[in-house]
Amino acid sequence: MMDAGRHPRIKLLAYSEIVSVSGYVGNFSVRVRKKARYVDESACTACGDCAKVCPIVVPNEFEVGLGSRKAIYIPFPQAVPSAYVIDHANCLGDVPIACGKCRDICEIKCIDFDQQDQIINLDVGAIIVATGLDVYDPSALDEYGYTRHENVVTSLEFERLIDAGGPTGGHLIRPSDRKPPKRIGFIQCVGSRTLSGNGDPSASSGQRLSRGRPYCSNICCMNTVKDSLLLKDHYPDTDISVFYMDIRAFGKGFEDLYRRSKEAGVKYIRGLPGEVVEDPVSGNLLLTVDNTTQGRVEQHELDMVVLSIGLVPSEDQAHIKKLLTLSQTDEGFLLESHPKLKPVDTPTRGVYLAGCAEGPKDIKDSVTQASAAAARAQIVLNSDKLKVEAITACVDREVCTGCGLCAKVCPYSAILADSKTKMIAQVLEAKCAGCGACSAECRFDAITMRHFSDAALTAQIDAALAENPENKIVTFACNWCSYAGADYAGVSRMQYPPNARIIRTMCSGRIDEDFILRAFQLGAPVVLVSGCHYADCHYINANRWTQKRVDRLWDRLERKGIRPERLQLEWISAAEGAKFATVMREAERIRQGVTPEEIELTRRVLAEEG
Amino acid sequence: MGENVTFKCLRCGHEFCGVYDTDVERMCPKCRSNSVRRVKDKPAPPAHPPKK
Ligand SMILES: [Zn+2]
Repeated sequence: MMDAGRHPRIKLLAYSEIVSVSGYVGNFSVRVRKKARYVDESACTACGDCAKVCPIVVPNEFEVGLGSRKAIYIPFPQAVPSAYVIDHANCLGDVPIACGKCRDICEIKCIDFDQQDQIINLDVGAIIVATGLDVYDPSALDEYGYTRHENVVTSLEFERLIDAGGPTGGHLIRPSDRKPPKRIGFIQCVGSRTLSGNGDPSASSGQRLSRGRPYCSNICCMNTVKDSLLLKDHYPDTDISVFYMDIRAFGKGFEDLYRRSKEAGVKYIRGLPGEVVEDPVSGNLLLTVDNTTQGRVEQHELDMVVLSIGLVPSEDQAHIKKLLTLSQTDEGFLLESHPKLKPVDTPTRGVYLAGCAEGPKDIKDSVTQASAAAARAQIVLNSDKLKVEAITACVDREVCTGCGLCAKVCPYSAILADSKTKMIAQVLEAKCAGCGACSAECRFDAITMRHFSDAALTAQIDAALAENPENKIVTFACNWCSYAGADYAGVSRMQYPPNARIIRTMCSGRIDEDFILRAFQLGAPVVLVSGCHYADCHYINANRWTQKRVDRLWDRLERKGIRPERLQLEWISAAEGAKFATVMREAERIRQGVTPEEIELTRRVLAEEG
Repeated sequence: MGENVTFKCLRCGHEFCGVYDTDVERMCPKCRSNSVRRVKDKPAPPAHPPKK
């Protein structure tokens, strides 16, 4: 951090937040609010005289509440820039009777109570998102008694207790009586690898996530192994027990560390405690655990329990997603473009991910990813010209009415339009990813895709239904998932009816209502629309518009007396070959229930409508 | 949070109650189809049916 702060070509804007981002790869404009710290950071020498006289004492966030700080403070010892900041919410202010002591004592007069937030505009070519993570709050897990028992601490609190720069100077004591604990237990997977409320469609996401997240937090096992070795090194007599589901020591040298921990006498007990009870007199903790290796229920009396808490996405992740037009996983982490081929890229070109913003990872993986993101950004910055995919949207200026619907559905904000001024839509080709959602949404057919054009897709529908249309199942499949799923079903030799006529589009969001109606008009008994699962959409969220369009069509078909069941919608991933085969068999079952009279009636109704 | 509504599966015909959320994939709990349509003219049953 010091290096970054001193680097002549790195401008560090600490205590700042992004207000807005516009533009596209190579040409981003970023508005930054640099918050008032009420201290001139270039003049402050961090002498600490101000903090000594400050009368306000509040819990220190960096020490997770185990220590205190003043209202004028340095957030943490290694903070860059090394300058004080005034906590506006707690400071008594510059009212002569109330306070102003810090300003009076500061010799170099760097405290300025009139400082205002500053707006800074930056023009940048690439953006790297490294917004980090939060930790899971175990308060909801009542069985561990985190909110009731003083000697139950989280791994983060424990880290501060054993840190030489921490509130106890690195001397490990337990909170209730400030005595060194002799028996310590670590409970693993607290808030990780937990599925709660799963399968209950009425459970809110808050309810589903309160008892933990479904994923492995990646770092907790090795953090505990590291802590156990540290304890054995400093306090060899300490009795350490680790309660776990399974130890995931997957990295280079990790297994060796785990083995050393066991050799040092740390007990690894397979089973998570069902309950932690406190002895009200001694403050000791009694754990009941089903030891699955021994096949018996055991009780352990300990002086202190450490909850190995998991990692969760940072709170402002959704805000960042919106600012940069990114995508989030079900768990809330930012989604990379491709897990194998573009692991640091995002759906927005020129924006890259580093560290835990993308998923839980340790320091080594974060550094690796950060280096990769910096290298990817360099490629953009060193190019005079950037190539874009030829699959982009193109607006027919003669036909466009300026309704602005295309801009509304574009997941990349690649279309400039204004429905109020009826401005003719304009596609920013550098931003357009070619999903085709705009083209499908345009009621006036004013947007043409440079590939997968209306004409090309219509010709495919016509060809598919040219002969015996009553036997065919017209299937629209997106390039990345469902089409690959169909392919997978094929190469895996899964059996499905041979009468599917698959029409590929880049995204299911490209499928125009007119394509589906045309298929019905040409005599198709069943039409299937398929796309990526919500979390997998390769065009951020373009497939949400597929659902909306199909919803709209189901209503429309019903109004015309056409059974909505004849239009099927399925989300199929590239790995779900078996699902594709099942869906096709089901579609065939529905097709067999569609009578020639019904098909004829549909044709007539749609022909009358024109 | 979305409202509680009634859905109908267009593959198997199963009707069920769930939260209407445009950011969540719909799936029929019976046959796992995604061809799930919101039934607009039918109010959602109460989450906890009254005791008899
Ligand atoms: Zn069903």
